[in-house]
Amino acid sequence: MHSIFMKRTLLIALFLVLGNYYVKGQSSAQESVNVSATVLGSTQSAIEIITVNTLQLGNARPVNGQININPVSDLNAGYMIAVGNPEAEFRLNYLPDRILNQINGNGSLTFTYRISGNDEEEQATSEPLDLENRNLRFNEEGRFYIWIGGIIDLSNAPPGNYEGDFTIEIDYI
Amino acid sequence: MIFRSSHNFFIRSALWSLRALFILSVISLSTTTLLNAQEIDFGDFSSKYTVSITELIPAEDLSFGMVIQNEGLKTVDLLDAKVLMIEGVKYLDVIVDITADPYLYLNNDVSCNGSNSNCIPFTLQAAYANRGNNNTNQAVLMQVASNVASAQFPILARGNRPPGPPPTPVYEGYNPALFNETAYLYLYGSINVGNQNAGSYSGQIQVTVTYD
Repeated sequence: MHSIFMKRTLLIALFLVLGNYYVKGQSSAQESVNVSATVLGSTQSAIEIITVNTLQLGNARPVNGQININPVSDLNAGYMIAVGNPEAEFRLNYLPDRILNQINGNGSLTFTYRISGNDEEEQATSEPLDLENRNLRFNEEGRFYIWIGGIIDLSNAPPGNYEGDFTIEIDYI
Repeated sequence: MIFRSSHNFFIRSALWSLRALFILSVISLSTTTLLNAQEIDFGDFSSKYTVSITELIPAEDLSFGMVIQNEGLKTVDLLDAKVLMIEGVKYLDVIVDITADPYLYLNNDVSCNGSNSNCIPFTLQAAYANRGNNNTNQAVLMQVASNVASAQFPILARGNRPPGPPPTPVYEGYNPALFNETAYLYLYGSINVGNQNAGSYSGQIQVTVTYD
């Protein structure tokens, strides 16, 4: 008699405890949030751009009235090194279309720049830098290598010497 | 006869005492359940009430962005907090438990070395808004100790009104959306940037929501 009573009571008690946990398990939710920060070295240096080779048009031969200097493969491409904070991210901007003016005359040409970049000093594996591809990172030594080529249409240009400049802008993000 | 009957009485009263003792011991064993029962936890009455927690902007970090070595305290304010949405039955209380890593770690290396050169101390702050709007002006700040915070609040604040009637039970054709509301949870805080190594640091905040 007493043992039956004890068993029932125990069963009921056990049921109550289990029931409680079961319900709680059903009605809960979890979420994990990531927290992040990027630390830059305190010796935050100004970004420097060093021109190693200028873009050479002299040796280039026009094809169908156009000179096309591929920044990835052409040895006439200009070569620059950007120096900044190691592993810091930066944004690169340039004006793709520039006017070159005839030195002794009124002629002008439109030069459409094409540039490529690499965190290794190797032109052949550099990647073309398009409008969508400008969030870049300096390498461990704080360097980023840039090659400059472009397309120029000579078909309507009077003969002569032309010169112009190329503006490139680099900012830390 | 008299002797036998009093003997029986003695046995019976001893048995009653044993039974009473046993009931008392069962009561003391399940004290938690009985104590809970003194407040009515409507959330316990149906396993069909669900609660969900989602990010207002998915996959967005609580980000401190770029910091410079020895910059010191860098804070993300309540206004720029990471927002989580808690959706559940509006008249039920939820218990929100938040636990955050004490540090942000360089390249996920949680072995913070003694000089803290590969981990940044992180101090969590948290708040919630349960007036039906994602509005930091209505936020109630949560007490946070050692990056652990806990709070209990109804999904929709009752204001100064007394608690409403018991909730509609789950019935066939029950549409939880009719009884659901969203509360907002804000996670923010600060990091203290010393002479840590340059690089990417990250940590985790775990949030658990349970009906009371």
